[in-house]
Amino acid sequence: MSRSRNSADSKEMQNIMSTAAKPLGVYVAKDYRSDLKPIWCPGCGDFGVVTAIYRALAAIGRPPHEIAFVSGIGCSSRIPGYTTAYGFNSVHGRALPIAQGIKIANPDLLVLVAGGDGDGFSIGGNHVPHTIRRNLDITYIVMDNQIYGLTKGQLSPTSARGLKTASSQMGSLEDPVNPLMYVLGYGAPFVAQGTPADMEGLAAVIEEGIRYPGFAFINVQSPCVTYGLPDSQLKAQKEIMQSLKQLGHDPSDRLKAIDLAQDYGTKLYTGVFYRNPNPPQTFDAGVRERHAALKGTGLARENILQMFVPH
Amino acid sequence: MTNDLVIGMAGSGGDGIVSAGESLITAAALEGYHAIMTKSFGSQIRGGESSCRLRISTQPIYSTGGTLDVAVALNWEDFLKFGAELPVGGHTVVIYESKTGVQPDRLPLPGVTPAAALSVSIGDMAKATTGTDRAKNTVVLGLLAGWFGIAREAILAGIRKRLEKKGVEVVEANRRAFDAGVEYAEQHPLGSARTIASPAADKEVKLLVDGNEMCAAAAIFAGCEFFGGYPITPSSEIMHYLSREIWKYGGAMLQAEDEIAGIGAVVGASFAGKKALTATSGPGLSLKTEILGLATIAELPLVCVDVQRGGPSTGIPTKSEQSDLFAATFSAHGDAARPVLAPISVADTFPVTVEAFNIAEYYQTPVIILSDQDIAQRKETVDPIDTKRFRVVERRRPSETELAEYNRFRFTESGVSPISHPGMKNGNYLASGIEHNEHGAPTASGEMHAKMNEKRIRKLDPLKRRRDLFVIQGDPDAPVGLISWGSVAGVAMEALQLAHEQGLKVKLLIPKLLYPVAEAVYQDFFASVKRGLVVEQSHQGQLYRTLRMFVEMPGGMESLAKSGSNPILASEIVDRLRTMALGMQRKRAYEPEPELG
Repeated sequence: MSRSRNSADSKEMQNIMSTAAKPLGVYVAKDYRSDLKPIWCPGCGDFGVVTAIYRALAAIGRPPHEIAFVSGIGCSSRIPGYTTAYGFNSVHGRALPIAQGIKIANPDLLVLVAGGDGDGFSIGGNHVPHTIRRNLDITYIVMDNQIYGLTKGQLSPTSARGLKTASSQMGSLEDPVNPLMYVLGYGAPFVAQGTPADMEGLAAVIEEGIRYPGFAFINVQSPCVTYGLPDSQLKAQKEIMQSLKQLGHDPSDRLKAIDLAQDYGTKLYTGVFYRNPNPPQTFDAGVRERHAALKGTGLARENILQMFVPH
Repeated sequence: MTNDLVIGMAGSGGDGIVSAGESLITAAALEGYHAIMTKSFGSQIRGGESSCRLRISTQPIYSTGGTLDVAVALNWEDFLKFGAELPVGGHTVVIYESKTGVQPDRLPLPGVTPAAALSVSIGDMAKATTGTDRAKNTVVLGLLAGWFGIAREAILAGIRKRLEKKGVEVVEANRRAFDAGVEYAEQHPLGSARTIASPAADKEVKLLVDGNEMCAAAAIFAGCEFFGGYPITPSSEIMHYLSREIWKYGGAMLQAEDEIAGIGAVVGASFAGKKALTATSGPGLSLKTEILGLATIAELPLVCVDVQRGGPSTGIPTKSEQSDLFAATFSAHGDAARPVLAPISVADTFPVTVEAFNIAEYYQTPVIILSDQDIAQRKETVDPIDTKRFRVVERRRPSETELAEYNRFRFTESGVSPISHPGMKNGNYLASGIEHNEHGAPTASGEMHAKMNEKRIRKLDPLKRRRDLFVIQGDPDAPVGLISWGSVAGVAMEALQLAHEQGLKVKLLIPKLLYPVAEAVYQDFFASVKRGLVVEQSHQGQLYRTLRMFVEMPGGMESLAKSGSNPILASEIVDRLRTMALGMQRKRAYEPEPELG
C-alpha cells in the first residue's frame, strides 16, 4: 500500500506489512504519507497543505493505489511524491490535461491535481477553462503564493501590481489574475479557498471538494517563507482570515460568490464560495453512458478492416 | 489495350471532380483493379480549384504514376493551377469543356502536343439530360467509361449509392447523364483504342481506404483505447474516425483545447494503463515535443502520428512533404531517443501502426509515425489483410512477486522495467519528469542520471536488428543503390522496376524504421554499392543527411530531394541512375576506379 521512494529499508517494509493488513476502508492520515522528505523551506505553507490532504484522504478512505495525484512543476508540484498515491509530477502547466487523460481512461480512480499559481494561471492557464467546461470529477488544489519560488523569486500571475521581484526590479506594471473570479467566471461547480493558517478548515474544504461530484477548485493561500511578503505569512493570515460560513454566505448563491471573490487580494475568505446544488453531468459519467450504449457494437477487432470493403 | 491508366481531372470546387474520382475508384475496387487516387485542392474551404489523380492498373502499383494518360479539364484556369501535379505529355488524351472556347490545336499547354484534344459540350449534355449542369461530373464518368472501358455497371452502382439520399429522380437523371457520356464516346471513337484490360481472372474485391482511416483502424486493432488530439490538416481524419469508432471498443477520445493538452491527456491515459494515440502535423509536433520528452523519461508508451505537410509553420497545409524527419528524430530536449517509423503506402499503414503500438508498449517509449499527406489522404485499393498474422504486444506488468518489492524503474538486462498503473495494488509509484532512481524518487545525482539515460537509450537497441522493418529489393550485388522512404518509396519501387526493364543493375532499400538508425542494415546494403541516390520529398534531403550522420555511406551516394508537391517521377530517378551506372562503366574502361567508399 505504501511505497518506498528511497531505498526499500526495513521501516518501509514494515509499513507495507502494516497497511496491507488493514481492512478495506480504514485509513489514517499517515497511510497517505510517503517516506520522501519534502524539499520545501522550513515554514513553507505547503507543509500544511500536504498534511490537510493526508487528513482529507483519510476521512474519505480510498486506498492509496486507487488515487492518482498529478502535478506540474513548481515547489508545490512536488506534493504527489509526498503521498503514497500513484503520483505524477509532470511538466510545467500540464497537470490538468494529464489528469483528464487519467480520469477518462479510468473513471473509477480518485484523481487529484495540485500545483502553484504559475502552473495553473500562467503557463497552464489555457487548460483551466476547458477542464471546467468538461466538468470531470477531479479536484484541483492550487497553492497560491503570489511568487515564483522554485526559480528564485520572479513575478507570478497572482503577484500584486507594483511588486518588486527578481524579474520586476522596477516594480510590476500588471494587475494580478484573480483565480477565484477566473474559475467562477468559467462556471466551475465547486469553488473554495483555504489556508494552512486554518488546518481544520483547509482539510474540510479539500475533503468536500473531493466528495463533490464534478470539477472542484480549491485555492489555498500557501505562503512562501523565502520570497513572499510579510503580510502573506501564516501569522498575518490568522489575523485577517474570515470564514465564509461565519459571515453567513450561502454557497449556492453564485452571484454572491462572485461578489465576494472580487475581494481577492484585499480580504482572505476561507470556506466554500460556490457549490452548485444541482451538480451538472460530468464528462466521465458521459463516458460511462456511452460505453454502456455502444460497447460491443463495432466489428470484432480482427475484422475491423471489413468496414473498408466497398459495396 | 493498356494495363495502366493514369487519369487527372480538375475543375472548380462545385464541379464534383473529386466525387467523380471516388465513383471511379470504387468501381475499380469492386472490379478487382489496383488503384490509387489523390485529391488536391487550393486552400479555400469552399469553391476554389479542386482536382484528383487516379491511377487504375491490372498490376500492383505503388504511386499515382507520372504523365497523365487522360486529362480532364472542366475549365482551364483551374486545371493549370495544378501545374506539375497534372502533367500532360505526348501520349495524353485531353478532354475538356467546349464552353471554354479553346480550339483543340490551341490548348494552353505550351510546348506540349497531346495525342488527342477532345472538346466536348459537357455542361450542355448535363443540362439536356438532367435539366441542370450540376451533373457535369456524371457526364465525364460516362465519357471515361465509354472511351477507356472502365466497368459501367460498377460506376453506375457507385453513382446510385452516392445519390440515393437525394431521391429516385436525381439518380435517374444522373443515369441519363452517364448514358449520354457513354453514347458520345461510342459515337466519337479515339484514333487508337486506349481501353484498359480486365483485371486478373482471380480478381478479388479489395478494400478501399485512405491512410488516415487505415491508421485509426489499425490503432483500434492494436488495442488503442484512448485518443487525444487537436484538429490539424492533414491528420484530422484520424480523429474523425476515432470519434465514431473508438467508443465501440470501450475506448474514449478527447478533442483537446490545444496540441499540448492532446498529448498531455494521452500521457495521462497511458499512465492509467491504456494504449493511447495522438495525431498531428508538423506544427503540432513542435508543440508536443516537451511532453514527448516527459513520456521518454517517465517511460510511458504512446504513439504520435505526424501526417507531414509542406512546412515550416503553416507552409502548404494541403500538400505532402517529408520534411519533419529532423523534427521527429532530433527535436527532443535532453538525451531522448525515440523510435520513428514511416509507412510507405495506405496498405503499409496497417502493419506500421500496429508495430508502432507494439514497440511503444514493449519498450515503454513514445513512438512517432511519420505519415504524409499523400498516404494519409489518398484512397488506395488494398488487398484483403489477414489480421491474424499480426501480433499485438502488451506492456510488461509486474508480477505479484515483483509487486512485493516494487521498483518501477528497476535496472534490468533489457532496460525494460515492469510497469504498474493506478488501481494496481502495491504498484504505487511516482511517475516524473524529474530524473529519478529505480524507485522513482527524484535525484540530482549525475551518476544516476547517466545510468538512467543509458537504460532508456539501450533498451531501444534491439530495434536496430529489426530487418523486417526494411524493404530490400533488386540485385543484391548491384553497384547502384537507391534509398527512399514514406510515400516517395512507392515511386522508388517503380523506378527500380523501370531500371531493371532497361537492363540497369540497381537495388533498393526502404527503411520503415527511421530511428534509431539501424547502422548494420545500411552497411550490409552499401557493401556492393558505389553510387546511388537517396530520394525524398524535402528541400534539404533530411534522410540523406541523417544517414551521413550515422552511417559510413559510399561517397558516390547523392541526394535527390524536392520540396513538397513537386512530383518526383520514376523516370527522372532512372535517368539519374543510368547516368551514374554509365559513368562507372566509362571509368572502368578508361581509368582506374577511384576510391568512392
